[in-house]
Amino acid sequence: MPLRDLLLLIGGPQGSGMETSGQILTSALARRGYGVLSDREYYSNIVGRHSYVHMRISSHTIPRSLTYPVHLAGFVDAESVFTHTFDIASGGWLIYDAGTDPTKITRIPSMEPQVRDRLLGKYREHGIGETVKDVIEYLEKEKGVNIVPLSFKLILNMLRQKYNMTLGQAQRFRSTIIFAAMAALLGLDADSVSYGIERRFRGREKVIEMNKFLASKLIEEIRSDYGTPLALEPSSIDIDKLLIATGNDVVGMGKIVGGLRFQSYYPITPAADESTFLESHESLVVDGEKKGNILVFQTEDEIAAIASAIGAGLTGARSATATSGPGFSLMVEALGWAGMNESPVVITYYQRGGPSTGQPTRGSQSDLLFTMFASHGEFPRIVLASGDPEEAFYDAINAMNYAERYQVPVIHLLDKFLANSTFTVPIPDWGRIRIDRGKTIFKAEGDFKRFDKSEPISPRPVIGSGAITWYTGDEHDEYGHITEDPINRVEMYEKRMKKLEIADKEIPEEERAKLYGSGKDFLLLGWGFVKGAALDALAVLEEKGLKGAYLHLRMFIPYPSRMVREILDSYGAERVIAVEHNIMAQASLATTMNTGFKIGRYILKYTGRPIYVMELVDAVQRIVEGGEDKVVLTYGE
Amino acid sequence: MASNVARYKTDVWSDWCPGCGDFGIVAAMQKAFAELDLDPAQTVVVSGIGCSSKTPHFIHANGVHTLHGRAIPFATGIKLANPRLTVVVNGGDGDLLGIGAGHFVAVGRRNVDITVILHNNQVYGLTKGQASPTLRRWEQVKSLPRPNIQDAVNPIALAIASGYTFVARGYALWVDHLKELIKAAIRHKGTALIDVLQPCVTYNNLYTADFYKGRLYKLEEEPGWDPIVHEPSIDEIDEKVARAWEKALEWGQRIPVGVFYVNPHVETYEERIAKLNPLYQEKPIALQEIEENGTPAISREDFIKLFNKYIVEVDRR
Ligand SMILES: Cc1ncc(C[n+]2csc(CCOP(=O)(O)OP(=O)(O)O)c2C)c(N)n1
Ligand SMILES: [Mg+2]
Repeated sequence: MPLRDLLLLIGGPQGSGMETSGQILTSALARRGYGVLSDREYYSNIVGRHSYVHMRISSHTIPRSLTYPVHLAGFVDAESVFTHTFDIASGGWLIYDAGTDPTKITRIPSMEPQVRDRLLGKYREHGIGETVKDVIEYLEKEKGVNIVPLSFKLILNMLRQKYNMTLGQAQRFRSTIIFAAMAALLGLDADSVSYGIERRFRGREKVIEMNKFLASKLIEEIRSDYGTPLALEPSSIDIDKLLIATGNDVVGMGKIVGGLRFQSYYPITPAADESTFLESHESLVVDGEKKGNILVFQTEDEIAAIASAIGAGLTGARSATATSGPGFSLMVEALGWAGMNESPVVITYYQRGGPSTGQPTRGSQSDLLFTMFASHGEFPRIVLASGDPEEAFYDAINAMNYAERYQVPVIHLLDKFLANSTFTVPIPDWGRIRIDRGKTIFKAEGDFKRFDKSEPISPRPVIGSGAITWYTGDEHDEYGHITEDPINRVEMYEKRMKKLEIADKEIPEEERAKLYGSGKDFLLLGWGFVKGAALDALAVLEEKGLKGAYLHLRMFIPYPSRMVREILDSYGAERVIAVEHNIMAQASLATTMNTGFKIGRYILKYTGRPIYVMELVDAVQRIVEGGEDKVVLTYGE
Repeated sequence: MASNVARYKTDVWSDWCPGCGDFGIVAAMQKAFAELDLDPAQTVVVSGIGCSSKTPHFIHANGVHTLHGRAIPFATGIKLANPRLTVVVNGGDGDLLGIGAGHFVAVGRRNVDITVILHNNQVYGLTKGQASPTLRRWEQVKSLPRPNIQDAVNPIALAIASGYTFVARGYALWVDHLKELIKAAIRHKGTALIDVLQPCVTYNNLYTADFYKGRLYKLEEEPGWDPIVHEPSIDEIDEKVARAWEKALEWGQRIPVGVFYVNPHVETYEERIAKLNPLYQEKPIALQEIEENGTPAISREDFIKLFNKYIVEVDRR
């Protein structure tokens, strides 16, 4: 029976083209209308350490979460076979390099000792020996996994002879072996595979030819041996165009549509790809028509990044900077300056594991409270968080709108999971896009009361408008000159903070939090990338007889207190479970602070890997049925 | 043109110590602005934090008083977003060469068309007289409990090494001389530094007006002094840099002021961007229309074309 959903894993050393395999498969699948989501897990390393792509494919919906075990795995090296021994489903399929058979787990220098020892412990438990061969036998005999052993050496030698290339050059085609073998088992047609190859190698004719040659040969051979055991049913997703993009790309696209004109950055994972994306789209020219241009400014550090973005904002350019934890730590003083000077600026903040450099390439949601409270003194700011690529796109636009409308710094929170995952995304809906520049003025004159106290939000003539304005981080009068007068202090302080009250009134609470489902057995309370896993877990739990709901928090300042309080009250403390990628349950603390509602059930994960549906389902059961208060998740290598 | 100078004055009271060198610097700026006939609305004075960084409040032009050490990156953002603006940075020696030293270097590498006026009083004035990065080793100004044991950084040499294309030194009490330097620096296309020696009457008992008297001499009065790179040949640049460097190191009985080095042939950062992206010079990014009645300038059709590379046409067959 053809499959509707499928999970797969591609593993190999960093730099061996696993991502390429994933991209080609994704394009081929999208071409036939399938929805694809893939998470990329990798070390803070350029070449050699274990990395993998974890993908969900669906014929009937755009996937939004991942889970284990997988139905299909393709590994180029021994380390992957060892690392993912227990990730493959009974009856699943494994493609691997039979040349690695004799390799022992104790002989893999790139494998971290902790990983090796943990695996060896499990191997002892299951009576598995130390070689790849032993693992393969276990999978085949004990787990009923179907094995597709390929001799990478023979395949690459064949290629070398045909195209007269060096071993090093041939090694690049390991990724071809993987995607071709997978395409064979998935029953993908030759045209879609060619499409995937052409799309990936755009214009590099020779590479395209070699990939097509190798892929079609392998597909033919593998299919004649194994058939198409993992054939997918035709897609029923009603869509004629799909964007294939990472979270970084999608935010970049949102910024471009939203009128971004100045982006500053200092390189940092997992934020820098967004700026690179923008840099490759600096000229906005469509069919010869000039729509404007963006300036991407690589600075000497993150302090300069935010300072220059604020400076550009003062002149009327929509401006933003993108960073991660260490970078935002450096930006904090300037954040306060923007707050004090009622200056719009957007900080796109991709969370990764902290503290300090922490886990540079792993995901996390541990910076929420930091962004809510960062910088000394009290000033208004807006903090919003996106949970999937669509939210990220519109949020990127709205963040700039809020920054200008309320004349405040806006922090747009994302995380590594969203940033580095690749998604198939529908083309955005223009009906949902508006650009709101608030009280920004491009023509004015004379000495201008930039901080006119008569209303909380004052008209903002940009520098260059013809008006003369002053700004200072010191407390100031209406003209922006320093004053320490106590009464002015009170008035200015309150003026600034009142803008938050206005934002709280104007931005509908339904846009700041969203309730999914109506089951009353439990309520999951989450944010960011938790969304996809939570929604899919709800469906699984419902099949198991547990009916719940998911409350997705989208904005933390101003917090949608009334709506959230009402929903939480309707469940009661017993049935509300915070689900987050941190140890403090930070969004639950923010919720308590804003609603007075005390949360006491937690499902937390801080390994740096995403929350998987199956572990979330299990954890909810342990809490709702088993009476536990807190479950810490650890699945995934 | 006294009345013209008045155009650049505000009625904010300058709360510097009587006799502070900052008064001279502000006076020189106002005169320079007047003589250049700068439009105050199209001029921006950006400063950091310190006594000297209060400057923008006393000048009638847009003023942006930022964070300690960060005036240069704020100013860079302003200038790059709207290159039509004239941008002048004021900062102390602690501000620009201590906490902000990284930015001081970075802006030179870019040759952004801004002017940096360094108020060099060898102390952290506003925090009551600690040693600044321009105070020399073993010197002990009066607030210091023990002598300074860090070496000084040489602003002129650092600017040349960092790629500034106009490097000069002025003296806060020689207002007209300083005014000419400021005018030349603003007219110069590229990053300009004016290191202004500035007596701090309250905390610096070593580098006083008396100290400078008799020691300062004007480079332009030296026979044969020509700091300008006329032909952008490596040889000429090397020669001019070497001579400027030699003068930069001169300190003691004779201290040079005036223009040390000018190279008008280096592309500015703005020109470099425009070379890569000609759209940049057509209209400042700050002034581009990004919407009409709330509808983005980029339509759905534009989106599909712009991001065509990312879009897959589904072909179900
Ligand atoms: C991040 C930060 N650290 C410290 C200070 C305190 N501070 C204010 S002014 C100043 C030094 C000013 O010295 P300088 O830049 O030489 O300017 P001057 O007052 O001498 O003109 C310092 C350290 C500050 N404002 N911000
Ligand atoms: Mg000083």
